[in-house]
Amino acid sequence: MKFNRESREPVSKPNSQMLRRTLFLMAVCGVFAFLLLLTRLYKIQIIDHEFYEERAMSQQMRENKSSAARGSIYDRKMNPLALSAPVDNLYLSPGEIDSRHEDRELIAKGLSDILDLDYEEVLKKSSEKGSYYVTVKRKLSREESDKVRKFKTDNDLRGIRLEPDSKRYYPNSSLACHVLGFVGMDNQGLEGIEARYESALGGTEGRTLRLTNAYGTDLLFKQFEEHCPGEEGLSLVLSLDSGIQYFVEKHLKQAVEDYDIQNGAGAIAMDVNTGGILAMASIDGFDPNNFLAVSDDAQAKIAASNDPEGELRAQQLKQWRNKALSDSYEPGSTFKIITLSMALEDGAADLNSSYYCGGSVNVRGRTSPIRCWKHGGHGSQTLTQAVQHSCNAAFVNIGLQVGAERFYDYLEAFGFLEKTGDKDESLTAKSGIDLSGETGSIFWSENVFCSPKNLSQLAAASFGQTFTISPLQLITAVSACINGGKLMKPYVVEKMLNEDGTVAYERKPQEVRRVISEETSAKVRQILESVVGDPKEGTGKNAAVRGYRIGGKTGTSEKVNLEATTGKKEYIVSFIGFAPADDPKIALLIFLDTPSDKSGVYVSGGQMAAPTVGKMFADILPYMGFVPQFDEDEINEAVVPNIVKMNLSDGENALYSQQLRYRVIGEGNTINAQLPKAGSRIAKNSEVIIYAGETPSENMVTMPELNGMGYDEARDSLAESGIYVRSLSPLSDGGTQKIVSQSLPAGTEIPRGSVIELMLRDSDEEQLGKY
Amino acid sequence: MRYESARLAGFQSPAKKELRGELDMSFCILVLVLLSMGLLMILSSSFARAYYDPGKVTGGKAGYFFIRQFIFAVAGTILMFLASKVPMRLYRKYAFHFLIFCIVLLLLVPFVGTKVNGSRRWLSLPGIRIQPSELAKLAVIMSFALLISQKAGKMHSFKEGILPFAGILALIVGLLMLEPHFSASIIIIAIGGVMLFLGGVSLGWFIGAVAVLGSALAVLLIFFPYASERITTWLDPFASSSDEGYQIIQSLYSIGSGGLSGLGFGKSVQKYMYLPEEHNDFIFSVYCEEMGFIGAALLLSLFALLILRGYYIALKCPDRFSFLVCAGITSLLFIQIFLNVAVVTNLVPCTGISLPFFSYGGTALMTELIEMGIILSASRDAVY
Repeated sequence: MKFNRESREPVSKPNSQMLRRTLFLMAVCGVFAFLLLLTRLYKIQIIDHEFYEERAMSQQMRENKSSAARGSIYDRKMNPLALSAPVDNLYLSPGEIDSRHEDRELIAKGLSDILDLDYEEVLKKSSEKGSYYVTVKRKLSREESDKVRKFKTDNDLRGIRLEPDSKRYYPNSSLACHVLGFVGMDNQGLEGIEARYESALGGTEGRTLRLTNAYGTDLLFKQFEEHCPGEEGLSLVLSLDSGIQYFVEKHLKQAVEDYDIQNGAGAIAMDVNTGGILAMASIDGFDPNNFLAVSDDAQAKIAASNDPEGELRAQQLKQWRNKALSDSYEPGSTFKIITLSMALEDGAADLNSSYYCGGSVNVRGRTSPIRCWKHGGHGSQTLTQAVQHSCNAAFVNIGLQVGAERFYDYLEAFGFLEKTGDKDESLTAKSGIDLSGETGSIFWSENVFCSPKNLSQLAAASFGQTFTISPLQLITAVSACINGGKLMKPYVVEKMLNEDGTVAYERKPQEVRRVISEETSAKVRQILESVVGDPKEGTGKNAAVRGYRIGGKTGTSEKVNLEATTGKKEYIVSFIGFAPADDPKIALLIFLDTPSDKSGVYVSGGQMAAPTVGKMFADILPYMGFVPQFDEDEINEAVVPNIVKMNLSDGENALYSQQLRYRVIGEGNTINAQLPKAGSRIAKNSEVIIYAGETPSENMVTMPELNGMGYDEARDSLAESGIYVRSLSPLSDGGTQKIVSQSLPAGTEIPRGSVIELMLRDSDEEQLGKY
Repeated sequence: MRYESARLAGFQSPAKKELRGELDMSFCILVLVLLSMGLLMILSSSFARAYYDPGKVTGGKAGYFFIRQFIFAVAGTILMFLASKVPMRLYRKYAFHFLIFCIVLLLLVPFVGTKVNGSRRWLSLPGIRIQPSELAKLAVIMSFALLISQKAGKMHSFKEGILPFAGILALIVGLLMLEPHFSASIIIIAIGGVMLFLGGVSLGWFIGAVAVLGSALAVLLIFFPYASERITTWLDPFASSSDEGYQIIQSLYSIGSGGLSGLGFGKSVQKYMYLPEEHNDFIFSVYCEEMGFIGAALLLSLFALLILRGYYIALKCPDRFSFLVCAGITSLLFIQIFLNVAVVTNLVPCTGISLPFFSYGGTALMTELIEMGIILSASRDAVY
């Protein structure tokens, strides 16, 4: 052993065993161990590369969806019916709240105050472990968004997040709600046009695939991003006209109230030449902005129910139901238009045909005779009179003359059924309108209907009983009867617009087939005009509006099945009208389901539905730009002359020559004012107020309730207050007309000298009946 | 005398200073290359977490970890060169003092140590936190080298060759278990074993030791569910819901998605808070994700070269102490590298072991560099 002198420690060189063992370590630690590690890395990085890469990517990749802007819905005049507006959704990122140590209680307090939410609830959401997305509230109002944004920046809270979304707005709230439908939380169409045209309106959402960090936000440097652009939704232009829709809804609601309608009501207005739907309404309605909310009446029913949840659901489904599209019914006498048309077209009847009605008629196959609504019978009548009277006996004869097989063929031609080849099968058909939920008709099988041994089906069908159709099918078929004979396919969506407003698709009105000739159609129009226009014999006269040529037909159908099963007598009263009668542009069908017999109005189409259609036309026709044409002889109305500055006697003479009465206020001899003002059209024999030496007082008067009064009675009772009336309904001689609507509602404050327009209903006892 | 045999005779100093040879350039350059690569990886792997700052440490400064590590690296490099100037004679002289010092520190840790993640492993001094277990590893190497060189020829006997060493190991491991610090214990036992192996202890003892440790491990697994859970996590990390399982899965995602050539430097996605400890124990995973299999092979080759060069220097040492210290430090380096890579590739069960020159940590880095400095010091005496 050697010693190092300086250190005095033994210095020994490593022995050979140490060197051997070191060489061993060199081989193991310097070579083999690394080869082992490399083998392992080769397995992970090369062999299993795809397995790990796929899994790593699936946790690193986020798909961001940028929802496509939903298309708007416009009416035919480009008034917006449904629009989408950008809003924000609010969510929390508890993971970030955690990592940034943000104050949960502050967040919960702030948000619950701004959004009126439950503090505990928000606090709970802010504490969800391991989550980076907990929705707090969706579709914040702009005001709410602004407040949240301010709260977020003021307190530097990154855990509060807002993301863009869009909200559907229906600017006219409930207007045309059943046609439009509504959208759900994710802006997906759930009902109506919104659902039917979901793919067009919704567009396709854009997708962005990108790498993100574990918090789901962008990496510091953009490394990978794949973008699939979406397609913006198309906007729709409907055939609907908001103005017409508004008037239809307004008067339909009024009718439901006035006649105490138990089971809702529906109305359809159609452009007779194109099949475009101008208006479609159902009662009850709802506000698509808040489609889950139910009416107060429904609320009360829900509160009284044993199963409030079930009742709520039932009430919601009821208010969403588009009765005008989804309810089928026995049309009753309105169907006589179809029978009339086919009989005229086939030559089974013409304008010179005459029919005798003794109050009832026997039909082969029936044990009891079919009775006419007028039990005493209509006696002898022309074809026109038979329609005017809505005589069942005459129509049974007309139907029998057409014959079952021809009748059945015409039913198919008018779109009420589709033959299948199976003659024992009950048949059905639909109009094929571009709305979801359309109901179909139900008709007797061909073998039953055409059985020569039993004509009762044919006889009943001739006046619209023993089968069911949809209101839409009826108005489509009647449009064909009056538009020159073409059956048009009904539709709602007229155009689709691209985002830039260019037209992506435009519908051409589609003629399904010609059913009757132009000439026949002209005769049908002429006869139907007389149903409304004839103030003596027309059962539809309550639909008349002075100055306009209106045609139409009443209908009162008993729910026969209901009576058979429960013994209850319930009716659906309806009216189908069209105008102008010589060149129809619009057809209007309304039906009122189950009027109460306690409303004080006789339950019939002529007494309930016809005046309602009259009121609608009184608003719609001027709106559509039709100018009333008055036949001067018939006008029971005077134009007030200008008598101001005349001396008293000249003024009195001027009024007298216009068949106006007068009342003088003051002692002077020169007229210094008059009420109403010159040029006003008012009822004849109204009392004009002449101011001689005095000035009229400026005070307002309160409009009284006129409903139920006679015309002259109203005129005279208002004279005292200086209010004047004129009638929009033609006046009959009998004085049996009662006021059913006034242009300004009772209780309104109006200036003296105002002129009120009235609609009247003729309820002549002689004429009352279920027609 | 060996000093006369130093080749660079021109390196004479006018004073009575000892004349020493030049340090080993290959080893030094390998260390500096690996240190530089480590620094770049610290920058790349840590900036995302530093920027997002989920732990509220960095204040959102992306370079936070890098700058700190850089400062320690510079200080460590200086220390390495200083250490290389210190003659082996002095290391030998103070080897035992150093062991006592480390034992004292380890004794202090359970009482005044700083607790991190449930374990007390750190001593906090003003401005710096040191991990005595890091120093203990070096102390075991130095003291064992000293003892072995003193007991030359007696290493085959149990009383001389096993007992004192086992005593020291038992004391230190016992103290480490108080913290507790499982991975440091394993490394210290391993490095002690390597020292004894080099010192000439007969192989039979190692078979015995493996048997004893094996059965101890078995007992551990049976009675400590925590330990056995690690084993099940190791066998199937995807079926495990534990934190370790999650770490290993994320590590495998990183390494695996690197593929052959990697995503490119700085482009790891896993480091964006998916992979835990990404600039620490799992920095190699980020490296593999960014540099791919090619880069990983390159890095492992550099490590292998460093280790081979370390043993080579040891073999060239003129005395047993230097030889044992060099071989011991090289073995320690190997154990750390191997275990770290084996853990992140799920070759062995998960435990926290840092990767030399790469993982974030100031004292560990400085200790490693001082250790390299000691090898460099020995290399000055090497006889080629």
